[in-house]
Amino acid sequence: MNLSSILLFVISKMNGQRTLNAGLHLLRGKKSGQTLTDVEYFNVKPFFAILPKLEETTYTKAIDKLLDSGLIIQNEKFIKLTVEGNKRVKDLPDFHFRGWDYRGREMIFFGRIALLVQTLSYVRKGEFSFNPIQKDRDIQIFVKMLLERQPITDPGFAKKIGEELKMALLKSGMSDIQKYIFACRLTGSTETAKTWDQLSSELEMGTDALRLQFIESLHRLLPIVEDSAEFPFLNKMAFGIKVHSYLTDSAMHTKRLFDQGHSMASIATIRKLKMSTIEDHIIEMAMNDKRFPVTHFVSEELIHAVVSKSQELGTKRLKLLKDEFDTLSYFELRLILTAYKEVD
Amino acid sequence: MDLKRILLDRFGYENFRPGQEEVIRHVLDKRDTIAILPTGMGKSLCYQLPGSMMEGSVIIISPLVSLMEDQAMRMRQSGEKRVIALNSFLPYSERQRILGQLQNYKFIFISPEMLSQEAFGRQLNRMRISLVVIDEAHCISQWGFDFRPDYLRIGDFLKLKGRPPLLALTATADEKVLNDIQQYLQMEKPIVQRHSLDRPNISYSIVEVNSPLEKTAWIKNRIAQTVGPGIIYAASRKRADELAIELQLEGVAVQSYHAGKEQDDRSIIQEQFLNGDLEWICATNAFGMGVHKDDIRQVIHDHLPPAVAAYIQEVGRAGRDGHPAAASLLYMPTDEQTTSYIIQSDLPREEEIRYYHRMLTEGHSPGSASELASLTETGKRVLDYYMEHYPLEEILLRLHGLSNEKNEQLRQMVQLVIGGACIRQRALSYFGEAGRNKPVECCSICGLDHVNWLYDKSITKSAEEKVSWDERITNLLG
Ligand SMILES: Nc1ncnc2c1ncn2[C@@H]1O[C@H](COP(=O)(O)OP(=O)(O)OP(=O)(O)O)[C@@H](O)[C@H]1O
Ligand SMILES: [Mg+2]
Ligand SMILES: [Zn+2]
Repeated sequence: MNLSSILLFVISKMNGQRTLNAGLHLLRGKKSGQTLTDVEYFNVKPFFAILPKLEETTYTKAIDKLLDSGLIIQNEKFIKLTVEGNKRVKDLPDFHFRGWDYRGREMIFFGRIALLVQTLSYVRKGEFSFNPIQKDRDIQIFVKMLLERQPITDPGFAKKIGEELKMALLKSGMSDIQKYIFACRLTGSTETAKTWDQLSSELEMGTDALRLQFIESLHRLLPIVEDSAEFPFLNKMAFGIKVHSYLTDSAMHTKRLFDQGHSMASIATIRKLKMSTIEDHIIEMAMNDKRFPVTHFVSEELIHAVVSKSQELGTKRLKLLKDEFDTLSYFELRLILTAYKEVD
Repeated sequence: MDLKRILLDRFGYENFRPGQEEVIRHVLDKRDTIAILPTGMGKSLCYQLPGSMMEGSVIIISPLVSLMEDQAMRMRQSGEKRVIALNSFLPYSERQRILGQLQNYKFIFISPEMLSQEAFGRQLNRMRISLVVIDEAHCISQWGFDFRPDYLRIGDFLKLKGRPPLLALTATADEKVLNDIQQYLQMEKPIVQRHSLDRPNISYSIVEVNSPLEKTAWIKNRIAQTVGPGIIYAASRKRADELAIELQLEGVAVQSYHAGKEQDDRSIIQEQFLNGDLEWICATNAFGMGVHKDDIRQVIHDHLPPAVAAYIQEVGRAGRDGHPAAASLLYMPTDEQTTSYIIQSDLPREEEIRYYHRMLTEGHSPGSASELASLTETGKRVLDYYMEHYPLEEILLRLHGLSNEKNEQLRQMVQLVIGGACIRQRALSYFGEAGRNKPVECCSICGLDHVNWLYDKSITKSAEEKVSWDERITNLLG
């Protein structure tokens, strides 16, 4: 797995209907109406925000690699798979990301584990002085509170947490290499963590690929410790990591007004926001709520007409649909496609 | 007063190190004091001991968040629990909580930008403060290599209060910097307690070469033959990475360290260096402050530092344990230009200053104005401070002076390297010290013939065994 293979997969999902940068925005987790809509249309939620700090040059390089090896081509502005690319997609390994749920916050989860393990590894030997591996104050405070009134000097306590961690890694379905990377990023009195560069030369894998492996492994670990009595400590470590309100704060605000019965125009006035922003919020709401009343905006018949036309044309390109349904606005078309996306 | 008794009882040390007792007595006499003591000599004790004897809290202003947290942690570990480190990176709620009970803390570490926060000022006014300590006080001086504009505000802050005595601590200060410290802190007839900055256990070598390739070759060869642990200082991130890779190919346990690496990796590298997994670090000047490793045997400069003070500071990280250590500086004639370019590009130029000024008067926000004038972060902060205090023409004059001064400092550094005089004595003379005894292993000018310890390389390199993931966890947690 590497950036190119993930991109190949994402492009296969968006086949021919999105431009070059759509993938970049997706991986970075851009919270714009367009990206959020794409996430839903094309079923690429798992990849949302898996690389929040992805640099444009890195992205471009990965795309160029795909172009050069003839797996994708650029058609006008749109990117699509070649025949060869289509074949290759079938051979891709299964991905186990859950970007939509975690959005980069899995690193906080790991930071907590790393600091906890480091602390216990020293304290169980009676050493109370060490350089905390995590400089993030929130993480430090979280771990400090978690360890309050726990028998931290009892070696049995550390051992118990070690057992829990090992069991969870086994159950998570991580690959062997993922378990190895995970363990190598832990540090303490007896073992010191390895940097990405060191792991890269040891495992003969690029640092970007390593990081993706690592992120995926955390996305596999988190779901099995959440809501589970079997892993009491890891369960606490996962507290607040999963994104619960999928709406952005701003969309949340709009939703409250909408629920109170305000029209979109009135919301825009109250919030002193552009109409297009409010439209984005509405789309966001529709995306996150299966029972969203689309019929407030468009009639039942039109919805059906649009959905079947879209299937008939085999496209989700708004421009083409707009030609067919001139009376509908772009916003209304987006809303319909969002709410009634086919499940593939 | 039997200070030695207290030293033993509270800190477990038999004796004061040179300078410590004098400083402590001045502080207890409530005199403003400037203490110039070499790196690692124990400056922290100079406020910890008197602070614990005086009524009220001690405020310690420190330039780096990591540095102050490290200090606070060390104090807590040694049994002083009434310590807190306060900075603007703390989450808001946590900060409020601490502020609410500030008077319960005896030692309060703060970063300078806290001083301009009203809530903090208000709280301080209600408390009894026994002493204000300015750690790394040379950071206040624009002439210094380590200037921190936020430090200038300490003076403004102190003006407001019927203030307690001040203690300024630093390891490097020539006359100019000393003057700045006095002036900006508005100290009253301070006592200057100075201890020689000489580190007799460090020997200095200058190696002249003709190209970067020769530098690389020299370093490779040197590291193959001589002992670590050591630090190689490079001018840029790129060069630090490049050297690290070259050395890794030779099988050296080395990593590069600079601000371009992610925080977790930086912590890991520091950890590996401290515990001996890594023998060498190739670093930019981002590495050093707050790294407490006593047994560093060598410091190698792949580039020309911008000033003698900076050089002495970086070299001073070697040999804190008192055992012999070696400093080597690789020099080629074009180095002067390279360093000069780096220095000058850090300073705002006249056009930029005028432009920034105009943008501000036209009502742009400082943020967008500085972007428009393409100022660096430091450049902006310096100018912001100046603009509150001086008219434009005065600022231009000052910055012009600053630029000249920096050139002069670089010239001094070059002189140190090519001047042909004893490196140790010449360096010390810049700090107003003269005529000290030379150790046997002095410098490459005085002659370094029998430095046997350097080549006493025990071959400890054991093939590293690969530990499986579950073994690692077991090793860590039992
Ligand atoms: N009187 C003493 N006897 C023995 N050890 C001492 C004494 N005073 C201080 N030390 C030890 O010396 C070490 C260095 O102390 P400290 O960190 O205060 O140095 P420093 O001068 O502030 O160094 P830096 O320039 O790096 O900030 C500490 O480990 C401290 O415990
Ligand atoms: Mg100090
Ligand atoms: Zn000499």
